[in-house]
Amino acid sequence: MKGKLEPSERQKLVEEGKNLKERLVTLEEDLLNLTDELQQEAQCVPNMTHPDVPVGGEDCSSIRKMVGKASEFSFSVKDHVQLGKDLNIFDFDAAAEVSGSKFYYLKNEAVMLEMGLINWAVSEVMKRGFTPLITPEIVRSSVVEKCGFQPRGTNTQVYSIEGSDQCLIGTAEIPVGGIHMDSIIPESSLPLKYVAFSHCFRTEAGAAGAATRGLYRVHQFSKVEMFILCRPEESNSFHEELIEIEEELFSSLGLHFKTIDMATQDLGAPAYRKFDVEAWMPGLGRYGEISSASNCTDYQSRRLGIRYRPESSIPPKKGKGSSTPTRFVHTLNATACAVPRMIICLLENYQQEDGSVVIPEPLRRFMGGLEIITPKIQIRC
Amino acid sequence: MGLKLCLSSTLKFSPISILRPISQSTKNPLRRSLLLVRALSADAAAGTTTIAPDTTPDDFRVAKAPQWKAAIDFKWIRENKEAVAANVKNRNSNANIDLVVELYDKLMNVQKEVEGLRAERNVVANRMKGKLEPSERQKLVEEGKNLKERLVTLEEDLLNLTDELQQEAQCVPNMTHPDVPVGGEDCSSIRKMVGKASEFSFSVKDHVQLGKDLNIFDFDAAAEVSGSKFYYLKNEAVMLEMGLINWAVSEVMKRGFTPLITPEIVRSSVVEKCGFQPRGTNTQVYSIEGSDQCLIGTAEIPVGGIHMDSIIPESSLPLKYVAFSHCFRTEAGAAGAATRGLYRVHQFSKVEMFILCRPEESNSFHEELIEIEEELFSSLGLHFKYASDFISSGFKFSFDVLTIVFPIHFPLAGLMTSSNFHRTIDMATQDLGAPAYRKFDVEAWMPGLGRYGEISSASNCTDYQSRRLGIRYRPESSIPPKKGKGSSTPTRFVHTLNATACAVPRMIICLLENYQQEDGSVVIPEPLRRFMGGLEIITPKIQIRC
Repeated sequence: MKGKLEPSERQKLVEEGKNLKERLVTLEEDLLNLTDELQQEAQCVPNMTHPDVPVGGEDCSSIRKMVGKASEFSFSVKDHVQLGKDLNIFDFDAAAEVSGSKFYYLKNEAVMLEMGLINWAVSEVMKRGFTPLITPEIVRSSVVEKCGFQPRGTNTQVYSIEGSDQCLIGTAEIPVGGIHMDSIIPESSLPLKYVAFSHCFRTEAGAAGAATRGLYRVHQFSKVEMFILCRPEESNSFHEELIEIEEELFSSLGLHFKTIDMATQDLGAPAYRKFDVEAWMPGLGRYGEISSASNCTDYQSRRLGIRYRPESSIPPKKGKGSSTPTRFVHTLNATACAVPRMIICLLENYQQEDGSVVIPEPLRRFMGGLEIITPKIQIRC
Repeated sequence: MGLKLCLSSTLKFSPISILRPISQSTKNPLRRSLLLVRALSADAAAGTTTIAPDTTPDDFRVAKAPQWKAAIDFKWIRENKEAVAANVKNRNSNANIDLVVELYDKLMNVQKEVEGLRAERNVVANRMKGKLEPSERQKLVEEGKNLKERLVTLEEDLLNLTDELQQEAQCVPNMTHPDVPVGGEDCSSIRKMVGKASEFSFSVKDHVQLGKDLNIFDFDAAAEVSGSKFYYLKNEAVMLEMGLINWAVSEVMKRGFTPLITPEIVRSSVVEKCGFQPRGTNTQVYSIEGSDQCLIGTAEIPVGGIHMDSIIPESSLPLKYVAFSHCFRTEAGAAGAATRGLYRVHQFSKVEMFILCRPEESNSFHEELIEIEEELFSSLGLHFKYASDFISSGFKFSFDVLTIVFPIHFPLAGLMTSSNFHRTIDMATQDLGAPAYRKFDVEAWMPGLGRYGEISSASNCTDYQSRRLGIRYRPESSIPPKKGKGSSTPTRFVHTLNATACAVPRMIICLLENYQQEDGSVVIPEPLRRFMGGLEIITPKIQIRC
């Protein structure tokens, strides 16, 4: 229409233009709707699965490793609730009044135990080259979603803040995953290895009737979490590294445990492969999960927008603007120490006949040298 | 620049104001600015507001009918109406004492009527038990019915009056210690100045710049992930936080306090009973969606709740707790106040001291708590030099004290005199929260920011919280109970006190800014080193860092 035209020709073109524009508007709207629908459906698609992962339900999960053996007791063992009561180190009743069920106060030596475990775990993982972090515990709900959780679903594990789009984190995986959100990381920076400490908050909705006694399933707890961002080719080997660190940590405390390769129906949507560690809890008479290590490959990074730019060995051609195309990193996360579960393990495994509890050697210097928790009557609140 | 000294007739030391800070609405107790000792610094015009992060309850007016009853001594209010009203005025509270007394009187009258009617009804009921003529019985039945109807109405009135009375009376702030200065922020008096001047031969950086150079904070990522006023701590800042917490808990435990780790989600009624308003406008409190729960802004709340609705044996008192928790605050209404870096954040770690004791002992425990705080802060390198002789000697100022107290000479560039010290302030009546009978704040000098920042607060809440939380004790009676006489000594309300042992972000600011070296490194004060794996100095060397 920019050229010289007869009026009738111009008129035809104008009408054609108008017609095209209308059709475009409709189609562009379709495009938007389709994009939304596609996203909605596609976001439900779980990650692919490592070929060695057993297919099926929980009874199909396979044991990778057994470490240690259940200690034998020459007396009847108590569970951690009873031990805690006798040692005067927990208060569940006051917490039920003040906050509700599945809350607790730690008192006296349990405070030293929590602080000692956190200090020990952070220190041990730092030694292995991880950068320590303390993270926010309130995050935007979009970040929660991008990590693969459903803050607004029924039976959600996520607490929401009233009057805002923010939530409480259920794990430091979320704020750590968020650090490099919408970024391009230079390849030379990879791998990035973080050890993050935070409090974690979980609604435990839908867990009614499950084991809820004492510290086993609580709404708030402290956790030290490991998180790795790496190149895709390396994620399997970092997964092995993470589970190795966990096994070393738990062995050093003298715990008896098994490492499980979780079957397909027990993987969360983000996980390509997941190893759980379950430790023997003699007071409960069964194994209880104390840690979990997942390789999420690019599931989270595609949602969080975390890319890296591979270093190209071919120097860029003069005049050719673009560098090497970016790729998505792989992310992994693993529990170094979930404090309440560890407290259960330590109390129940190290109990003595007189009700006292021995502190395993590696923790003592993080607890002011404390070697044993005794039930003697002190001036106690 | 003139120095204006205000010495009141009671020889209280009023801080010097050279630059008045931006005054806040006195109706909004969240914004309490404290006067600063600032002189000729070039950027004195900027940021003269101080940092007041305290747990001051917002709007005194209760939003709706209370779900619980505070055991308020209405009779005492009535009998001391003038004193209570004067206190309300001094504190700038909008409690209405006349209304409280009026409602109480009404309530008493209705109560009397109700009792009278009940007695009459009993008489009627008794008479109906005997042998009666049908007409007499009929009369009694009607009388009974009549009495019952009147009772129902009056009992409803009773309930409404009780609710109204509660609602009004819950607004009444605590009484005030006689030594507390009356008035606004400029009337708060300095109890103690502690420290010695340290001089920097280079231009000091603030904690944000130091943190950046040392690669120990990340505010930008936190703003993306969570919003403003959030942060990640990295590398040595993690060790600093963990070291400070371990050190504070350990030091206070040594002094006989029982350590606690508390829930951070609590029922909103517990928050209210401690004297906070979770649903008020500009509330400091985050609420959980779909529940009656909130996030705590201080461990004072869950610790106060431990002995809720209990009777403690006198022999158990005092109960002394040192509690560690994360704290969450909306900081609503704090826009424009100093918000750079770690000053005013939504989430932080804090070690809190809490005491429950007999009423006669609360003043002395208040002294004990502030002493512990002063010892803790001094041990981190803030040396003592008593300025109390200055106060007691009235108009005699020693030159030494002048040098410390009035660092007049701030060269504009290069050289900056910083005083490596802190001061304890007796907060004036308008700056007390509703629960506090008396409140001491400790402010430390933050050279990078060029002003004082509050690092701790110690309040004596007497029986304000315990009357709401229902915490009583049974005094041991020296008189053995008479045989057959069932009741023991009547219970009394405990007094509660709370004090900050360590608010981590403020301490981090203090340590970074006071212990910075010219090359940007930061020395760790000796007492903290063993809680930080022996770390002696944080250096900005290039490491393999994320």
